[in-house]
Formats: sequence, C-alpha cells, structure tokens
Amino acid sequence: MKESVNNCEEELEALKKEYEEFVYIVSHDIKTPMRAIINITTWIEDDLGSNVDQDILDNFSLLKNRVGRLENMMNALLEISRVSRTNMELYEVNIPKLINDCVEMLDNKSNVEFHMTYHLKEEKCITLGKKLEKVVFSLLDNAIRFHDKEMKNVIIEVSENETDYLISISDDGPGIPEEVQDKIFAIFYTVNSKDVVDTTGAGLTVSNRILKMVGGTLEYVPAIDKGSVFKFNWPKVIRI
Amino acid sequence: MTNRLVNILLVEDDEVDVMNVKRAFAKNNIQNPLFVAGNGVEALEMLNNSIVPLPRIIILDINMPKMNGIEFLRLMREDDKFKNISVFVMTTSNEDSDKIDAYNLNVAGYILKPLSFEKFLSSVATLKNFWQLCEM
Repeated sequence: MKESVNNCEEELEALKKEYEEFVYIVSHDIKTPMRAIINITTWIEDDLGSNVDQDILDNFSLLKNRVGRLENMMNALLEISRVSRTNMELYEVNIPKLINDCVEMLDNKSNVEFHMTYHLKEEKCITLGKKLEKVVFSLLDNAIRFHDKEMKNVIIEVSENETDYLISISDDGPGIPEEVQDKIFAIFYTVNSKDVVDTTGAGLTVSNRILKMVGGTLEYVPAIDKGSVFKFNWPKVIRI
Repeated sequence: MTNRLVNILLVEDDEVDVMNVKRAFAKNNIQNPLFVAGNGVEALEMLNNSIVPLPRIIILDINMPKMNGIEFLRLMREDDKFKNISVFVMTTSNEDSDKIDAYNLNVAGYILKPLSFEKFLSSVATLKNFWQLCEM
C-alpha cells in the first residue's frame, strides 16, 4: 500500500516536472517565431518607404494586430497554467486599499464613477494579496472595457460573513445576453467579435481559476435594470 | 573618435534576432563593431582564442543550443580576463529563476525581448547610453 502511494507521488512529481518543462517551451520557443513575424513585417514596411498604398499599410497593421493577439493568447495560457505556481505569498492586505490600487491601475477611467461600499468589521486580513488583486482588477477592467455608454458607473460592495469576504462588482453597461451567460468563463470566449473590443478573453477564466484554487466561487448575476453583476466569495482563511 | 568605440559581442542563435540587433544598431546610429557568436560554446572559443578583439560588452541570449547563456556566463566569469566585461542578458525568458541566475553572475542588465521592433529600438537606445559611458 505504502509503496503504491510512493509510486503515485513519484509519478505526480514527474508529471509536474514534465508540465513545467512544457510550459517553459511554449513560452520561449513559440514566442521566438512569433516575434520574428512581427519584426520582419516591420522591416518590410520600413524598407518599402513612404510611397505605399493605403491597402498595403492596412494589411500590415492587421497582420501585426493578429500576431499581437496571438501573443496575448499565449501569455494568457501561461498565466492560467501558473495560477497556482506564482504570486503565492500570503501577506497583510487592507481590502479598501487593495481595491483603490486596482482602480488606480485601470486604463480609460476618465468617464467612470466608482461607488464603493464597505461593511467590514476589520479592513485588514492576511491573504493571497496578488491573487485577490488580479480578480478584482479583471472584473473592474471588464466592467469598463465592455461598457457601452459615455458615462459609466461601477459599484463595488464588500461585506463579510463568518468565513468569507463577499465582493460584488456591478456596472450599468449592456449586460451579457442570456444565451451566452454559460460561456463567459471559457477561455478566449468574448461576447462580441474581437474586432469590436480588442480583448483576449481570458480575464474571467483566470479569475475563475484563482477562485477555485482558494475555495471561492465566482458567479454572474444579471442586474435588474441591465448591466452586469459579478459576485464572489473570498475565504478569510486560505490554506496553501 | 572611432577607435574609442567599444567592441560588442552578441551571443544569439536566432538569425532574425541577430538581424534585429543589427537593424536596431543602424537605426540608433550605433557604429560600435559588432561580433556575433551563435551559442555559448562558440562565444567561449572566440574569447579564449582571441578570434575577436576583447569585447567590453556582451549581449547574451539565454535559450540557445549546445551551451545556454547562463552556462556560458558561469564559465566566462570563472576566467579573470573576462571578469570586467559588462553583460546584458536579452531574452524572451521571464522566468524568475533565469533572472536570479543571471544577476548572481553579475550582469549589467536584463532585457526582455519585446514583441515589437519599435520597443526593441528604445531598449537598444538605452543600452547605447550605457556603453557611451564606457567609452568615456
């Protein structure tokens, strides 16, 4: 019995090593030709000089954009594979400060009003700060990125129960059509064509992975008057 | 003036990356003599047998066949003659372990190869500022 447990552990270790090597190869060896495509494209564009048809320039820009997407997808795959391997430090986090930091990091927030509400007995906790930050940032980024109005409202509510922090991030954007709500956590899925909103479609997948790892759940709830609400619970005690 | 330009050795196995560096040098008007080795073994041979003039600066890729950049750096740093060469690691590797290994072997900089040529140009422009200081 003990021997077979040992064998399983050895096998698991070997598989883990194989997996890590695979990820390493994907990240370096595939990026090299990808970079070469972009570089050579830029050189051709450069060598053609200034007297070039607009059609050709447009195609160059499409080509570079698509390779850029490919790189983003590759980075997203790597990020997903590393969810439980990197940024695994437990440290003291002040929750409102962490949320403010995420807001600070957002792009294009000039027409956004943030409304924060906290019902917390204690604002500080020891947790996987980088992971919590990643989830909050992804949800806030989505709320703004896919918003369809000039003025945007984003509501952040944090409360707690005995065991968990309960965090909800809602917006008054277009919401997610009912027929695709079960697809939004799938990797690279985007509700609109990637030509409409340039996004990789990995934020929710990564967030969902993180929550599964810490023992929380992420769910989408349609807002009553359109818009989206994403809710998740974040356990107060995390065992790693 | 020209004779004060420091020699640069590029250790890189990918042909496009070599062209990339050459092109970025031309764009940034960098006229330093540039020598190229395709991997760590070749670079060590070039240094040990004085096939190239002693470089003041090495630009080093990490993932290479035969001998990778970290192994090369380790062997090179063992030799007193090559202790003072400034080494810039230029790689796609964003692995912490590679960065730690590199810094433990006393590198002057760690540059991630960016996807776009424009970004690469600005990295090389930064390098130029550094080695102009070496030339003073």
